[in-house]
Amino acid sequence: MEEENLIKKLEETSLPEIEIPSHKRKLKQILLDKYFREKRNWEVFNVLRKVVPVGAIAIVLIILISYSLISPQYSLAKARGIAMRDPRIKELIERGAVIKDVKILKDKAYVLVQPLAGTEMETEEIKTGLKTEEGFLGALAEIDLKEKKVSRIEKLTPPSSPLAEEEKEKAKEIAENNPEIRRIVPKEAEIMEIIPVPFSQLRLIKEKNSVRVVPEQIEEKRVRIIYELNKNQWEGEIDLIEEKVDGVKFLGEIEE
Amino acid sequence: MKLNEEKELIKRAKKDPKIFGNLYDENYPKIFGYILKRVANLEIAQDITSETFLKALKNLWQFRWRNISFSSWLYRIASNEIANFFRKNKNKLASLEKVLEPISTHNPLTEIIEAQEKLKEYKDFLALQEKILQLPLKYQEVICLRFFEKKKIREIAEILGKKEGTVKSLLHRGLEKLREKFNATF
Repeated sequence: MEEENLIKKLEETSLPEIEIPSHKRKLKQILLDKYFREKRNWEVFNVLRKVVPVGAIAIVLIILISYSLISPQYSLAKARGIAMRDPRIKELIERGAVIKDVKILKDKAYVLVQPLAGTEMETEEIKTGLKTEEGFLGALAEIDLKEKKVSRIEKLTPPSSPLAEEEKEKAKEIAENNPEIRRIVPKEAEIMEIIPVPFSQLRLIKEKNSVRVVPEQIEEKRVRIIYELNKNQWEGEIDLIEEKVDGVKFLGEIEE
Repeated sequence: MKLNEEKELIKRAKKDPKIFGNLYDENYPKIFGYILKRVANLEIAQDITSETFLKALKNLWQFRWRNISFSSWLYRIASNEIANFFRKNKNKLASLEKVLEPISTHNPLTEIIEAQEKLKEYKDFLALQEKILQLPLKYQEVICLRFFEKKKIREIAEILGKKEGTVKSLLHRGLEKLREKFNATF
């Protein structure tokens, strides 16, 4: 076979274009789960690196490594395992949620479960006790490590930060200049309210005797503008940090 | 995407999981496709793809921009993972027989079975791949990147961390060896 024939064969052979969507989805979930853990470790390391001299870091690392051999890693893994076996949490995970964070406090563990970032969960069949008006935003489970079971699980109503007047004005300006909003919302519609959107991604922080839910990123700032005309309503979602409109939708007619 | 824009995106991906998710969605098809064309086995391709992205995530925080695109960086990790796989599994080279073997019974997902059936249809590709897999790794890499991934010499050099002259040389010698394999068959 001549080289040019071989090259022709290589260039012209039909190549398989095959995907396995379930693998792609599953791997994404695993990666995002690891993402939050790795990010936290890296942030801590970065702070240490800047603030503490190299020799001290070496000593700290040696102590941390020795401590980590007998440490709460076991309890964290144990807590995760107990959470995954609880039918309510299992159902949430099957519907697309992930375990975002775990904190240990004495003989209890706290597990934060949230929808996977950037995905929408099918929330219709989730138990109503775990849903807010906006759907499933997250749940906090308390685990009794001695009894090895979830002692309680409650829905989260994620926090939002109040809006300053300038922020409301900025939101209006962004909305006014957005072609999609201009296309979908009638010009005559009035702005009924501008409300902050709750922080979508959360984490846990341990305080003296309690565990608290806080936003993952303070730099997130989203608002909703509700428009109304002749008993019809529209909603625009604005990202004040990125200064863009994330979506516009028609909410329907207001019920009497 | 321009390199500058990509640099910003990577920086944001280190803070925003949504951006990281988007990078993953964008790169998964080409990385999985590349690995599948190298190993010609769906189960192995899945495993190596998982390893590639896990390693990429682990190193994401330390990823320092060196004017190599993110996609080329992923290809590099994938090539290294494939090389590791072949080193550990010298005797498990993919062959036409391996592809035609029934799927292992612990993995009965319909998707995999259908994908496996689809792969079998590419007989010409599989026959070609069987010969390529008999070459040393350094030739396999350049041939697959050039002809299956349609990469330019400059891109292959970036992926493999080699000079363009070296890549051309490897390609030339690789094609010679491949031709010998084909000629030995006839």
